[in-house]
Amino acid sequence: MSTLDRRTLLQLAGAAGLASVLSPAQGAEADLAAARAEGKAVFYANITAVKPIMEAFGKDTGVQGEYTRISSSKFVSTVATEARAGKLLADVVQAPLPVLELLKANGVLAPYRSPAAADYPEWTRPDDTIQLFGIEYVSYLYNTKQVAAADAPKKYEDLADAKWKGRIVMADPATHSSTISWLVGLKEKVFASEGEWTNFVKALAANQPMFVASFGPTPAPIESGEKAIAISMPKYIVTKAPAPLAWGPRGGGQPLLGTPRAMALTAKAPHPAAARAFMDYWLSKKAAGMLAKDVGEYVAAPGVYPPVEGMDQVKVLAIRDLGDAEIQKWGAEFKRIFKG
Amino acid sequence: MDTRHQGLTLALILIVGVLTVAPVAMLALGSVSEGLDAFGQFTLAKYASAYTDPGLWQVLGNTAVFVVGSTLLATALALVLAYLNTRTDIPFKFLFGVLAIVPMMIPHVLFSVSWALLANPSNGLMNLALMQVFGLEQGPFNIYSMPGMILVEGLLNMPVAYLIIAPAMASFDVSLEESSRVFGAGTWRTLVRITLPVLRPAILAAFVLGVVRALASYAVPRVLGMPGQVDVLATYLYEMISVGFAPDYGKAAALGMSALALAVVLIWLYRRLTGEGSRFVTISSRGWRPAVVPLGRWRLPLFALVALLSFVVIVLPVAVLLYTSFVPYAMVPGSEAFAQMSLKHWHEVLHDATSLLALRNSLFLAVVGATLGVLLSLFVAYVIVKLRTRGAALLETLTYLSFSFPGIVIGIGFMWFFVQTPLYATVTALLIGYVATYLPYGVRPLASAFVQVHDHLEESSLVCGASHLTTLRRVIAPLLVPGIVSAWILMATMFLRELTLSVVLSRPGSEVLAVQVLSFADDGLWGQLSALGILMIAISTLLVVGAHLLGRRFGARAG
Repeated sequence: MSTLDRRTLLQLAGAAGLASVLSPAQGAEADLAAARAEGKAVFYANITAVKPIMEAFGKDTGVQGEYTRISSSKFVSTVATEARAGKLLADVVQAPLPVLELLKANGVLAPYRSPAAADYPEWTRPDDTIQLFGIEYVSYLYNTKQVAAADAPKKYEDLADAKWKGRIVMADPATHSSTISWLVGLKEKVFASEGEWTNFVKALAANQPMFVASFGPTPAPIESGEKAIAISMPKYIVTKAPAPLAWGPRGGGQPLLGTPRAMALTAKAPHPAAARAFMDYWLSKKAAGMLAKDVGEYVAAPGVYPPVEGMDQVKVLAIRDLGDAEIQKWGAEFKRIFKG
Repeated sequence: MDTRHQGLTLALILIVGVLTVAPVAMLALGSVSEGLDAFGQFTLAKYASAYTDPGLWQVLGNTAVFVVGSTLLATALALVLAYLNTRTDIPFKFLFGVLAIVPMMIPHVLFSVSWALLANPSNGLMNLALMQVFGLEQGPFNIYSMPGMILVEGLLNMPVAYLIIAPAMASFDVSLEESSRVFGAGTWRTLVRITLPVLRPAILAAFVLGVVRALASYAVPRVLGMPGQVDVLATYLYEMISVGFAPDYGKAAALGMSALALAVVLIWLYRRLTGEGSRFVTISSRGWRPAVVPLGRWRLPLFALVALLSFVVIVLPVAVLLYTSFVPYAMVPGSEAFAQMSLKHWHEVLHDATSLLALRNSLFLAVVGATLGVLLSLFVAYVIVKLRTRGAALLETLTYLSFSFPGIVIGIGFMWFFVQTPLYATVTALLIGYVATYLPYGVRPLASAFVQVHDHLEESSLVCGASHLTTLRRVIAPLLVPGIVSAWILMATMFLRELTLSVVLSRPGSEVLAVQVLSFADDGLWGQLSALGILMIAISTLLVVGAHLLGRRFGARAG
C-alpha cells in the first residue's frame, strides 16, 4: 500500500459520521470541531513529566487534556475495575505494551490507527489497536565529577568489575518489571551466550548494588555522590539538568534496551472525538519533539532524538514482550541471585 | 440496659460498619475468589500460596522487631516528653508543642529521604562530619538497617503517641501523687507506682495505635529498608503486587487478613487491660488540676536533652528539605551548592495548576474530614468507654477494620467499593475513605480522655435536670477539650498528607497533595517535592495553631 493510500485510509477510518465522506482535510477539521464540543480528553498514563505536552495540546487544539498518572502495578486493576463498573473515565491509555495487551484481551480498547503515526516504523504497530510511540530506554548513569569518562564502564560487562563493589544503585531486580525485562533483554540481545550472561549477572550481584523501588529514585544517589553508577534511564540527563550526569555504554556497539511504550483508545471512551484528537496530537512530530526535548524520551517518530549527547548514534531496541508469568519467574530468579 | 444506649450503639455500629466493612469485605471476597483481582469461583489457593512462601517467616520476624522496636521508642519518648511538658517546670515548653506536631506534617517519604541524606554510610552528612572531626575511616551510622528504620519510624510515630498521652497526663489528679508523697515515696517512686499505672489506658492506646501504624508503614521500609535489604510486611506486600503487570491483590488481601487478626487481638488485649475503667478515673471533682513537679538540678540537663531531640527530629529534616528546595539537584552542601541556589523549584510549584488544586482539595479534606471524623469519634468513644454496651466491643473493632489492613491493599478495596457508587472519582469519596480508615486516630485520644472523667460528674448533671445532650455539651465536652483538640490535629494533619487511599482514588479534579508529592518523587524531582513539602508543613502548622486557639477559647468559656 502506498503512503498516500494508507494515509487516506487511516484518516477515513479515524473520522466519524459525516466526516468519513469528506476530504481528509475537511474530515480532520470536523473531527477537531467534535473534539472541541466534547471539551476534554482524559489520559491515563504511567509516563512521567508530560505536563508541557498536556498544556500544548490544550493550547493548540482548544481541547483540554486531563492527565492521571497510574503506576504500572495498579494500571490493569484500575482500568479493568472502572470498565467493569461502566465507569472508565479514560479516553486514552498509555502504559507498557504487556499492560495494554492485557486490557485489549479484556475488551477495554478500541481499534484506531492514527494518521499522525503513518510514517512511524512498522514495529510500532503490533496490531490494529495498540500504537507504540517510544522505548523506555535503560542504560547506566554516572556522576561526571565522581567518575572520569576514561574510567567509566564502556560496555555492560564492565559493570561487573569488582571496582564498582558497593558503588552501584539500581531498581530492585526481584520486583521492578522494567529492570527484570532489561536483564532478560541483555541475555537475548547483547550477550553472546547464556553462560556469559549468567556470569555477568552473578558478578553484578556480587558488586552488592543498593536497591531502590523503581527508576525514579535511582539518579539522586548519583547526583549527590552517594553512589557512582546507577542502572537507570538516560532521560534523567535532560530532566535533572544541570546535574553532572553522563551515560554509557559507549563501546563495542552495544545497543540500549527498553520496554516499548504503548497507547490506545478505550472502547467506550466518554469523549471519542477528543480521544482521537489527543492521540493524533501525541503522535505528531511536534509532541514527539517535546517528549524528546523536554522529557528526554526516546520516541519512535523518525529522526527525533532526545538531546542526550550521542543518543542519535546508538541503536535502541525494544525488549521482547515478557508476559506476567515470565516476569514472575525471572523476578524470583533474580531475587535468588541478588539477595541470596 | 437503657434502650436509648442500645439504640445509639446500634446506630453507630451501622454508620461505622458501612464506612469500614465495605472495602474490607471486597478484599476478603477477593482473597477467596479466582480471577484477575477479585470475585470469581471460590478458592483457598491464594491463602495457600501466600502463607507457604518460605521467605515469609523471616519477613514476619523482621516486621515484629520493626513494629515493636519503633512503637516502644515512640511511646517511651512521648511519655518522657509529655511528663516533662505537662508536669514539670522545664523551660521553653513551646518546644514540646512543636516537637509533637512538626514530624507529623512532614511526608514520611521526605522524612526518610532526609535521614538517608544525613546518615547513609557512603556520604551521609552526619557520617562525614564525624569522620572529619574524629578522623574515622568510615562513618559510624548506617541508616539502611533495622536500627535505622526503627529510629526513623519511632521518631515519626512519637507525635501520635504524644498527642494521646499528653492530654491524659495534663488532666491527672494531683491528689493521688500527693498522697503517695505523704506516705514517704519520692518523685521517681511516685512516677513509677502511681503516675504511670494511672496513665495505663493512654499509654496502651498510644502503643496499640503505634503498632498498627508501624505495621502499615510503607515509606520507611521502602526508602531505608529496601537499600539495606531488610524486608518487612509492607515491602513484602509491595513486592507481591508489583511484580508483573496483572498483580493479584486477592493474594495480598489473604496475607492482610493476618494483620487484621492481629489488630483484633490487640484491641481485645487493650480492652482487657483497661477493663476496670474506674481504676483510671482521675477527674472526679474540683481541684484536679495537676501540680508542677520541680526538676531542680535536672532542669537544664533535661532541657538540653529535649533541645537535642528537637534538633534531630525537626531542625535537621526540615533544614534538609529547605536546602533541597533551593538547590538544582541532589548536592552535598558546599560552596558550589550554595552558589547554585535559586527559587526555581518554588516558582514551578506555585505556578503548577495541579499542585494548587491539590492544595485546595487537601485543605478541604483536612478541615472538613477532621471535623466530621472527630464528631463521629466523640460518639464512638462515648459508647466504648462510658456506655460499655453489649455492642461496644464490636463497635471498637469496626473502627480498626480498614485501618489495620495493609495500607497498600486497602485503597484497592475502597476503589472496588466506590466504583459501584456515584461517588467514584470525587473528593467526597476521598473524604469518606479518609474518615473510615483513620477513625482510630479520633477514637483513641478521645477514649483515653473519656476514661479519666468520672461517671459521677455526668450523673450529677443528670440528677440536676440536665439532658444527656446538655450534660455532654456543658460538663463532659469541656473536660474533653484537650482530647478533642488532639484528635482533630491528628486527623487533620493525617488527612493533609494522606497517600495510601488517595493514590488509588484520586482522579482529575480530585488530586491531593500527597499524590502530587509522589508524582514528584517518581520523577526524581526532589526540589519541587521539598518545596511542596514545606508548604504542607506550613499549612499544617496553621491548622494546628488554629485548633489550639479554638480549643483554648472553647475550653475557657466552657469552664
